[in-house]
Amino acid sequence: MSRLRAEGLTLGYDAEPIVRDLDVTVLDGKVTAIVGANACGKSTLLRGLARLLRPREGNVLLDGRAMADLSTLEVAKVLGLLPQAPVAPDGITVADLVSRGRYPHQGWFRTWNDRDHDAVARALDATDTADLVNRPLRQLSGGQRQRVWIAMALAQDTDLLLLDEPTTFLDINHQVELLRLLRTLNAQAGKTIVAVLHDINLASRYCDHIVAMADGAIVAEGAPRDVITAELIEKVFGLACVIVPDPVAGTPIIVPAE
Amino acid sequence: MTATATRTSAATAATLRATRRHRAVRAFTATTGLTAAVAALFVLTMMVGSFRLTAGEVITSVLHLADTPSVDFVVRGLRLPTALSALTVGLALGASGTVFQQLLRNPLASPDFVGITAGASLAAVSGIVLAQVGGLAVCALALGGAVAAALIMYLLAWRDGISGYRLILIGIGIAVFFEGLTGYMLIKAELFEARQAMHWLTGSVGQASDDELKLLGGALVVLLPLAVILSRKLRVLELGDDTARALGSRVELTRAALLATAVLLVALAVSVAGPIVFVALVAGPIANRLLGPATGGIAAAALVGAVLLLSADLVAVHLLPTPLPTGVVTGAVGAPYLLWLLATTNRKGAGG
Repeated sequence: MSRLRAEGLTLGYDAEPIVRDLDVTVLDGKVTAIVGANACGKSTLLRGLARLLRPREGNVLLDGRAMADLSTLEVAKVLGLLPQAPVAPDGITVADLVSRGRYPHQGWFRTWNDRDHDAVARALDATDTADLVNRPLRQLSGGQRQRVWIAMALAQDTDLLLLDEPTTFLDINHQVELLRLLRTLNAQAGKTIVAVLHDINLASRYCDHIVAMADGAIVAEGAPRDVITAELIEKVFGLACVIVPDPVAGTPIIVPAE
Repeated sequence: MTATATRTSAATAATLRATRRHRAVRAFTATTGLTAAVAALFVLTMMVGSFRLTAGEVITSVLHLADTPSVDFVVRGLRLPTALSALTVGLALGASGTVFQQLLRNPLASPDFVGITAGASLAAVSGIVLAQVGGLAVCALALGGAVAAALIMYLLAWRDGISGYRLILIGIGIAVFFEGLTGYMLIKAELFEARQAMHWLTGSVGQASDDELKLLGGALVVLLPLAVILSRKLRVLELGDDTARALGSRVELTRAALLATAVLLVALAVSVAGPIVFVALVAGPIANRLLGPATGGIAAAALVGAVLLLSADLVAVHLLPTPLPTGVVTGAVGAPYLLWLLATTNRKGAGG
C-alpha cells in the first residue's frame, strides 16, 4: 500500500491539459526522480501530487483518501514541498525562515514549545546549516541557501517530501552534495522523497526509482538500470546516445552518440 | 555517533532558544518604547499652543480626574479631538501600510500608490464639487470610494488567484486613472468648492468630527487585533503562494481576509483625515528597522504610524511660522524617503 498515488490524473492551467489521464504510485521509503524534457509536465505532476493544483479529472490519494477531501493543514502534516524558485522576505535570517516550517503544527494562539525547537534544530543539523542560524539568507551561497530551504521543509516534519528541481541553479559539487543529503534523509529518517531532476546521470546514481515523462504521460518507470536505455532517451529527449555504466557505481550514464 | 548527533541537536536547540529570546526581548523593548513615545507625543500635542498647559493639567482633564472649566474647554473641546484623530489615523495608516507591503511582497506597495487613496479622493472630491456635500457625507463617500477602488483592483487582478505583482501594476493604473478624473472634477468646480476639495485633498488631522472619530476608534478596536492575529499567517504567505500552500495555508482566503482588513483600515483613515501621504509607506520599514528584518510587527508599525502623524501634526501646527495641513509635512518628509527607497531597491536588483 503506497501512501501517495494518482489515478487517472488530468492537470492543466489553461484550456489544454498538460498532464493527461496519468496513473502513478510513489514508492514508500524510496527516493524517486521524475525526469523528462522541458515542458513535458513533470513540474505540473509534482504540483498536482502536492495539492498545489486541483485535478481536472481523476484523483490524488494520500493514505487512501482523496486529497481534495482533506484540509490543506492535514496534507501539510504529511507531505512537504519545496517549490522551484521559493521567495523569502528581504533580510530574513536562517533561524526565522526554518522556523516558519513549523506553521502546520501550530494553532492560532499556541506559542513555541520544545517539540518545535527540537524539530527546527534537527532540520538545521540534518542539513548542516546550524552554524548559519543568525545569518541573513541573502548573504549565503546558492548551495547553502538551498540547504536552508530544505531545512525549512524538514522542520515541517513530514513523511513525504517533494522537491521541484532542487539542483537547478547549483554547480556540480553542490548538486552532488544535495543529492547525497536527500539520500541521507531517506536512509536515516526514512523519508519518502520525490524530486524533479534534469540531470539523468545524477538521478540514476542517487535515486532508487525513475519516472520518465513525455508529453504529459509516463513513458517508463523503474530502477535506473532497467529504465535508462538508449531507446528511452531517444524517445523522451530526442537525443541519440550510448549508455555506459558509471565506473564507480555501475549505474547508467548517457553519452551523446555524435 | 548517535550520542554526538543528540548532543549537537541539543546545542542547536539551545542556540535557537537564545535567538528567539533575543528577538522577543527586542520586540518587547521596541514596542514598549514606541508606546511610551506615542503616549508622550499624545500629551505633548495637547500642551502646546497659544494657551500653554502642563502635562499634569492635560492628563487630569482628559481622564476627568478634576474639573477646571477653562482647561477642560481647551483640552477636551479643542485639542483632544485633533490629538485623537492624529493617534487613530496614524495607527490605522501604519498597520494598513505594512500589511499591504508584506502581502504584496513589495516595499512600494503602500495603499497610497495602489489606488485605494485615489479612489477615496475621487469619491470625496466628486461629492464636494457635484453635490456640495460636507462633513460626514464626505467621510462616507471617501470610505465608499476606497472600498470600491479596492474591489475593482481585486477583480481586475484576479486570474486563478491574485498575484502580488499584477495587483500592484493594476493598482498603479487605477490610481492614475482616478487622479485624472479628480483633476477633471477640480477643473469643473466653482472656486469655493475647488478650495474645499483642495483642502480635503491635502489631508489634515484637524478636520475630524466626533462621529468620525468614534467610527474610526471603534473600527480600530476590532481591526487592529484582527490584523495582529492574522499576521501569523502573513509570515507564511510571505514565502510565496506555493510554499504557503505546501505549509497548509489557505492562501486565497487568508489573502482576502488580510486585504479586507488593510483596506478597511486605510479607507477609514482617509475618510477621517483625507489622503495623508507617506505614513503608510514608511511605518512598516521603520518598524522593521526597530524589530529586526522580516519581523513584520503590525502593532509596532501601527505605533510608528501614530508617532509619525502626531509629530507631523506638532510640526505642522506649532513649529512652522504658518500652520500647514498635516499632509504637507508628511509629504515633505516622505518624498525623500521614497527616492531613497527607489534608489536602493534598484541597486540591490530587487526592484522588480
